[in-house]
Amino acid sequence: LRNVSGLEAVHRDYAPLGVKIYFVYKSLAHPELEGDYIQPFTLEERLAHARQAEQQLGASIPWLVDPMDNRLKHALGDRPNSEYVIDPQGVIVRKRPWSNPETLRSDLEELVGPVAKTTRPEDVDLPVQPPLPAAAEKGVTQRVMRAGMFALRAAPQIDKKGPPFFAKLRAEADLNLIDEGHGRMYLGFHLDPFHGAHWNNLTKPLRFRLEAPPEVKLSQSSWEAPQLSAAKDSDPREFLIEVKQWPADAAVRLVVDYFACTDEVCHTVRQAYTLRRERDKDAGAARSAGFRGLTPQQMFAKLMEGDKNGDGQLVPEELDSIMRPRFTDHDSSQDGVLDREEIQEMARQLARPLQP
Amino acid sequence: MLRCFLALSLVAILLPAQASAQRSKKKDQDFIKTAPVVGDSLPVVEVHTPDGKPFSTSELRGHYTVLVFGCLT
Repeated sequence: LRNVSGLEAVHRDYAPLGVKIYFVYKSLAHPELEGDYIQPFTLEERLAHARQAEQQLGASIPWLVDPMDNRLKHALGDRPNSEYVIDPQGVIVRKRPWSNPETLRSDLEELVGPVAKTTRPEDVDLPVQPPLPAAAEKGVTQRVMRAGMFALRAAPQIDKKGPPFFAKLRAEADLNLIDEGHGRMYLGFHLDPFHGAHWNNLTKPLRFRLEAPPEVKLSQSSWEAPQLSAAKDSDPREFLIEVKQWPADAAVRLVVDYFACTDEVCHTVRQAYTLRRERDKDAGAARSAGFRGLTPQQMFAKLMEGDKNGDGQLVPEELDSIMRPRFTDHDSSQDGVLDREEIQEMARQLARPLQP
Repeated sequence: MLRCFLALSLVAILLPAQASAQRSKKKDQDFIKTAPVVGDSLPVVEVHTPDGKPFSTSELRGHYTVLVFGCLT
């Protein structure tokens, strides 16, 4: 969510004239960014996200919360930061794909009238709060790279009487797997900062198994996270799995066992999911999520792996499909190739922590 | 022209989200053309307030309303 100050300024000026501005809390656009937030599984969790957003952004604009079937997002065009103006009769009078406070202000000047004194965004001093912290240190393990992967449908089997999903599965797959039924799948168990638990590495590491009909062919059926030397941490437990065959109509059941711990108590947790070989278009894009644990040097090396002809430069075709759209942003000299300096700068930007 | 180009370059450097918006211009144009369009009624959808109370978009009458989608990320 950008331009919060700008929107808050418009809100302060137009609320007295009867204009009601609402933020709509939707599914996360980029899970794992800005405080390690991951997709909530239950309405209660999404409501907690919205209340955290109120605190964190410090704006006085009220929130509405889209239910877990994302019905308002679907009804209004499935965009992450769109903006609608609705007249007193309930008719849509403005619609734009990206919220823009300046344009909104001119809309309202036209529709409602100008205000006597305009609040400027820089005069809005929002009492912003930091994002929720992880329960223990992060950056202890090497993150798994998953560029070019898309979210898969992974339905958690929610037991209302059971423990919360302290760790939440993020399932992704490359397009080979999604389209053709063979390829690579990413399974990551991410601790939800809203539940305040960490891994206790003195206990047995997380393990899971995949229960699939015989026509689904996997290299193995159960996995266990490595035992770490740090006593505790909050890094995700990540796995890259080679899938040899997964027919489109076959559902795969995943059962995971782990200990979710605070400094006082460990919860023994068993939870299950149903995975489908389908893209989940409401799950957002964990863009560059896997780069955060890398140093700029490691990121540079990763980018240079794409240098097929070994000339020390990168052309768009030598970047993967996630990086390629960023090409023009990083080609400062606008000459159609990224030279060593440009790649170093790109690596530096990608490797830096994304939290404010 | 040059000034316009420089301004655009600056936007691309400073505001990656805006830059990605430039790249997905077609997606944005499609969004504008997709129902509900300007002139249509706001669909009636049951949502929630952050404290979990039900809220219907049909309540958004009698005043100008602005809806802005967003999230923590």
